[in-house]
Amino acid sequence: MIDALQRKTFLAIADVLIPAAEGMPAASQVGVGDEVLDRILSLRDDLREPFVRGIAAAAGKEPQAAVEALNRHDPEALGAIGLVASGAYYMSPRVRALIGYPGQEKRPGNPDEIPEYVANGMLQQVIDRGPIYRPTPK
Amino acid sequence: MPSAATLAGMGKGKTLQLRDGTEWEGAMSIDVRQAPRPGRRDEEVDVLIVGAGPSGSVAAKHLSAAGFSVVSLEQGHFPDRNAYAGRRPEWELVSQKQWHPNPNVRDLPRDYPIETSESDINPLMFAGVGGSTTLYAAHWTPFLPSDFRTRSLDGVGDDWPFTYEDLLPYLDEIEREVGVSGMPGNPAYPPHGSYPTPPLPIGKIGYKAAQGLDKLGWHWWPGTNAIPSVPYNGLNACVRRGTCMTGCPEGAKSTSDITYWPHAIKNGARLVTGARVREIEVNDNGFATGAVYIDANGREHRQRASVIILCANGIGTPRLLLLSRSKRFPDGLANGSGLVGKRLMMHPFSAVLGVYEEDLESWRGPFGQNVDSLQFYETDEKRGFVRGAKWGAFPAGGPLGATAFVGSKVFVGDEANVEESWGENLHRTVERRFGHSVVWGIIGEDLPEESNRVVLDPVLTDSDGIPAPKILYKFSENSQKLLQFHVARCLEATKAAGAIETLVVHQMRDTGWHLLGTCRMGDSSATSVVDQWGRAHDVPNLYIFDGSSFPTSGGVNPTATIMSVALRQTRHLIAERRSQEAA
Ligand SMILES: Cc1cc2nc3c(=O)[nH]c(=O)nc-3n(C[C@H](O)[C@H](O)[C@H](O)COP(=O)(O)OP(=O)(O)OC[C@H]3O[C@@H](n4cnc5c(N)ncnc54)[C@H](O)[C@@H]3O)c2cc1C
Ligand code: SF4
Repeated sequence: MIDALQRKTFLAIADVLIPAAEGMPAASQVGVGDEVLDRILSLRDDLREPFVRGIAAAAGKEPQAAVEALNRHDPEALGAIGLVASGAYYMSPRVRALIGYPGQEKRPGNPDEIPEYVANGMLQQVIDRGPIYRPTPK
Repeated sequence: MPSAATLAGMGKGKTLQLRDGTEWEGAMSIDVRQAPRPGRRDEEVDVLIVGAGPSGSVAAKHLSAAGFSVVSLEQGHFPDRNAYAGRRPEWELVSQKQWHPNPNVRDLPRDYPIETSESDINPLMFAGVGGSTTLYAAHWTPFLPSDFRTRSLDGVGDDWPFTYEDLLPYLDEIEREVGVSGMPGNPAYPPHGSYPTPPLPIGKIGYKAAQGLDKLGWHWWPGTNAIPSVPYNGLNACVRRGTCMTGCPEGAKSTSDITYWPHAIKNGARLVTGARVREIEVNDNGFATGAVYIDANGREHRQRASVIILCANGIGTPRLLLLSRSKRFPDGLANGSGLVGKRLMMHPFSAVLGVYEEDLESWRGPFGQNVDSLQFYETDEKRGFVRGAKWGAFPAGGPLGATAFVGSKVFVGDEANVEESWGENLHRTVERRFGHSVVWGIIGEDLPEESNRVVLDPVLTDSDGIPAPKILYKFSENSQKLLQFHVARCLEATKAAGAIETLVVHQMRDTGWHLLGTCRMGDSSATSVVDQWGRAHDVPNLYIFDGSSFPTSGGVNPTATIMSVALRQTRHLIAERRSQEAA
């Protein structure tokens, strides 16, 4: 279980990594420290150990300084915290709407449609340039 | 030659030698799939196949259809489409771990680990019915005519015992079983009939990639993929979800659990999953008698057979032969030539990411190839290297894909630091790249070299305590020059298409998706492991039907050719059943 203090430290670091800027919300504003955090750590059990280690090292420190220290001394821990934060961030429906990502949704094509590259002659040019393979030598 | 019974009665008509299945009772961890015709305990079958990937599945279906009694042993399990993460929001996160193509990253008990500290490339694979195609990108790119004649044409590698034209009828048949989608008329190949299903949309990224090539007058073609565009042979039509490389949750990507096994099981073939083979046994006369395997509870079993076919891929097959040492075969089974495990080819790979102003919806599928180019496939000596490469254009994935490719974080600058990767720059990178990127994957031909090889690791073992393989592999000078040339041309094409940013990942490490050459075929028992029909020179009832037998690697994705060769060898085995010797 991630306790309240660990969550608070994580949010502070997450906001350094993913701040409010360029029209995008900060990590803490889209709830990266909520249940999604526990969900990600259970999906990616391999991240838990370096994540917890990094959070422990950062506890009580000024967040920007903590990030810089982790980057110097424990980049694996910073990588784990960063992946958890960005994973949660880009799973947020609000963030997805802002960047125009509907997720890996279905969008079937129409197999009966004549492809545009045929209709507009693009592919014909390739054919007209002639064969480019070397045949089997006799 | 030792005296031996022949298999004149093997596979006669449809009267299969039946088994009662009692052998499996209590071994709850193995899943046995067979049509309702139980068999007898410890019965010897006509054919035992190790591995249920594409090559083993082709053999199982066609041998069972011809009336042979067939058992297939597969260390992995039958896939569950609902377990694939493609429909879930965490897809990108789990694709970097549970569904990563490198078994050492996945670290699952059904995979075996691979010692790679002395290899420039990490081999990639998957254990399960369907084999590594569970995760493949389904690019369908048969070898070209020159691939079978590299010695005659370019003075490198070896000519194959057969030609492109010899293999063509088998390829045509395989394409109909697989349900390939594509556009006929590709000028990079000799004339070829139409594909069983129409081409998939190439998407905005495909047009972007093609535009750059058109500007330069270079070859491109709409992607041919083992993904049908309409429902076909048990497969659903592709809905372009774009998560093909972590398993297709729609049942649309062609894998043999869908396209082959239902037929094979109906024919009476028996598929035993969770069954890891640790040794092929032989008798005093030098014939293979069967396999010893371990179920997921660690219990040992024996399966006897008249003929054994190894389909465990270019690493699993030599591993098994090297594990099967005996008094008669002290250097490993079928290794009189000393070539078992040697000449490993994995295809050196680089990728070029192009970022464009326009919104290309570059998370949309398929994650097969949207277009490909074979412009620089054939040798031109002026370039300073021989042979060539295929380029395939991929979408770039979701927002985490702005810096990653196939689960590995590679599209970051060399001097990547906190400020560059995070903070405001993260937002800028995602804004610029996400949805706007095309990735060209460059697959280079690998030349066979005996120093690139698979051996048994003295320390590392799999979850059953069986020695794991170790890879010794170095990029050759030819590979390095080849990739440098191709990356330079690819950057030209990317810029010609109007890219506003380009990134290159050179000689990417996690790209050993094609495992070839480690038990090469040839005419002489001194210089090859199997003959042109896949039969081991040293063991008359042992065959290899996977890519281990390839004398050279080509510079294209190999599964179309692996499956066609497997069908050719299977047909020969069926035709020659009367003269096939057995223990
Ligand atoms: C990520 C990825 C992407 C790829 N993309 C493409 C592509 O786009 N196009 C293409 O043409 N190819 C692609 N490939 C390659 C393709 O998957 C292989 O060429 C193909 O699967 C080879 O088939 P095979 O049957 O020879 O071996 P595999 O598919 O590897 O199957 C071998 C089977 O043997 C089993 N096995 C091994 N050892 C044992 C043992 N001791 N006991 C029991 N079972 C055992 C394994 O579990 C496995 O299921 C890709 C591969 C990967 C990993
Ligand atoms: S793009 Fe097609 S094949 Fe790939 S995952 Fe989606 S539906 Fe399956």
